[in-house]
Amino acid sequence: MKITGARPRRMWGVTDNPSGNLYVPKIAIVDEITDETPDTRTFKLRFEDREYAKSFSWEPGQFVQLTVFGAGEAPIGFASSPLEKSFFELTIVERGAVTRAMHVLRKGDRVGIRGPLGNCWPLEDAKGMDVLIVGGGVGLAPLRPAILQMLTHRADYGEIWLLYGARTPADRNFKYDLEKWGTRGDIHLLQTVDVADAGWKDNVGVVTTLFAKVKPDPAKTVAFTCGPPIMIKFATIDLLKMGFSQDRVVTSLERYMKCGVGKCGHCCINHVYICTEGPVMTYEEMQALPELIV
Amino acid sequence: MTAAKAFILMKSNAPAFFESVARDTRLIAPKRRFGGDVIFDVVASPKEIAWDYGHDIYPPKRFLLPHYEDMFRYRAGKEIGIEDLAHPPKQAIIGIRSCDVMAIRFQEKFFSAQIVDPYYAARSRNTVLFSLVCNRPPKKECFCICCDTGPYLNADYDVQLTDLGDRFLYEIGSDKGRLAGERGAPLLKPAAPGDLAERKRIELAADSLFDTTAYFAKALNFISYDEVPDAIWEDLGSTCFRCGACTNLCPICTCYTVDDRAHEDGSFVRCRSWDSCQFSGFTRETSGHNPRPTFGSRVQRRFYHKVSYQYVQRDGTHGCAGCGRCVSACLTNLGVPSVLKRIRRSMHDYLEPRDKAAKV
Repeated sequence: MKITGARPRRMWGVTDNPSGNLYVPKIAIVDEITDETPDTRTFKLRFEDREYAKSFSWEPGQFVQLTVFGAGEAPIGFASSPLEKSFFELTIVERGAVTRAMHVLRKGDRVGIRGPLGNCWPLEDAKGMDVLIVGGGVGLAPLRPAILQMLTHRADYGEIWLLYGARTPADRNFKYDLEKWGTRGDIHLLQTVDVADAGWKDNVGVVTTLFAKVKPDPAKTVAFTCGPPIMIKFATIDLLKMGFSQDRVVTSLERYMKCGVGKCGHCCINHVYICTEGPVMTYEEMQALPELIV
Repeated sequence: MTAAKAFILMKSNAPAFFESVARDTRLIAPKRRFGGDVIFDVVASPKEIAWDYGHDIYPPKRFLLPHYEDMFRYRAGKEIGIEDLAHPPKQAIIGIRSCDVMAIRFQEKFFSAQIVDPYYAARSRNTVLFSLVCNRPPKKECFCICCDTGPYLNADYDVQLTDLGDRFLYEIGSDKGRLAGERGAPLLKPAAPGDLAERKRIELAADSLFDTTAYFAKALNFISYDEVPDAIWEDLGSTCFRCGACTNLCPICTCYTVDDRAHEDGSFVRCRSWDSCQFSGFTRETSGHNPRPTFGSRVQRRFYHKVSYQYVQRDGTHGCAGCGRCVSACLTNLGVPSVLKRIRRSMHDYLEPRDKAAKV
């Protein structure tokens, strides 16, 4: 069976345009803020409009356009479990104008949300297969909903490996999850850091050095990768060398984008709008897009 | 075209006719400004319309897709209070050329495909076009004849005007066009067979005045199948100094950016404004990573969007109206026809010697 980036059931603007104007965000309230790393926080959000909150659903891999009022809008991937109906989480690195303003927010502050946007991880297609997940840094955030959903429906999948790399032990996101996943036995967690500290017992080196320690069967495994472009590049090269076919290497892409609905033109590569036809794409689908060839 | 849809509007009656249109609609028309330049602008009275203008450099697209468009207002803090600012006025664009009509049709299709852009849709709903065909010699940059967007239109117009000397042939092409002229209908007289014959004669005469051909098909093949080597794109891009004139003056280009602007009363307005794929920051991400880092890759982007099968398939036509504005505007000869020509020539120069060398 050929795998492609999966079509979501719901998409802002196509199936989900409750406000009547797809550029106007819905208001959400910050309920909780968790420090992940020195520059990354996870924001737990819920919609102010309870009726809307009840009807809101999304799938792993999708993202939102987050408005920090007074600063602007930025695309951010969902980071929580899609099975949680009362809230969702966004994990955000303090980097640009909007994300810096986001990090100033406190519990109870309001933000704007347009979403869900984009397509999703092919979790349906992956049923019955082994799944190899390769994450780098905050790239683990868009993978986390997929991991949480697969762990909830654990029997639907074969082996699950998670290879996670970060700059230092302190730069790892979701340490509380990693701790749990490392001990639960039904997911093989391998971690690595570029620069270790005194307490670090795991691997040191880039995330691709972990490939030597796992033996996935390319015939029945699908790989999900997300991280910095350089990591995606070398992970893809290695996966193809290991014998993965081009449609079994699935990546979530990052592009500068403004509208999220295929109009502003920024994320467009050739004739493909990453905001509506991505961000999740197989290496095979990326072949047609020269700027993404790794 | 049926006879019932063709009328005669005497030029002496044109001011009174467009006064009747203007009762609930603002008029946008070619307006002669101090110094003699003509650009499309709001006119206070139909008497201001410069009917004899030739070709304006500045397309009227800004009346459907403004340079800066306020989307909604909000307050930062506990009460966000979002107020939608989409209240476009009713407007008639008079004297617009065929190529620009087709460009607007292209945009209308793009902005309503799959997902409807509410701001553009509201403006286009409220806009009626009274186009004026080009029956005078085209400027040397014009190539609408290669894009099937002019100088005459046989469909897709609301109202099409042809200058027949002391009168206009007035053809109605849409319900919107019919409704806009309803109040002035007593000033319209049915066209006589001789008027229609005269129109046909003028159309053929206008067609015969072009000696340009833009050779879309050949270059379209090369571009669609990514056969143009990066070296050729970089060679073309090496002269671009990213002024953005080509995309800003293009009547079809739609790309925009969005920012939130602070106002003195403490509110913020989310505003969208024209952007250009020819700017290096267009694709640059927060991390500093830029997937389209070179001049050549940005020129390639522009031409892939304008001229490729993939977009022709998506949009129904190529993204060029043949208006020639990028030709006039680009100081370094990166207009559509010249680039298509240079691609054809460079493909030969680039591949021939290399293949020969390989064989030796």
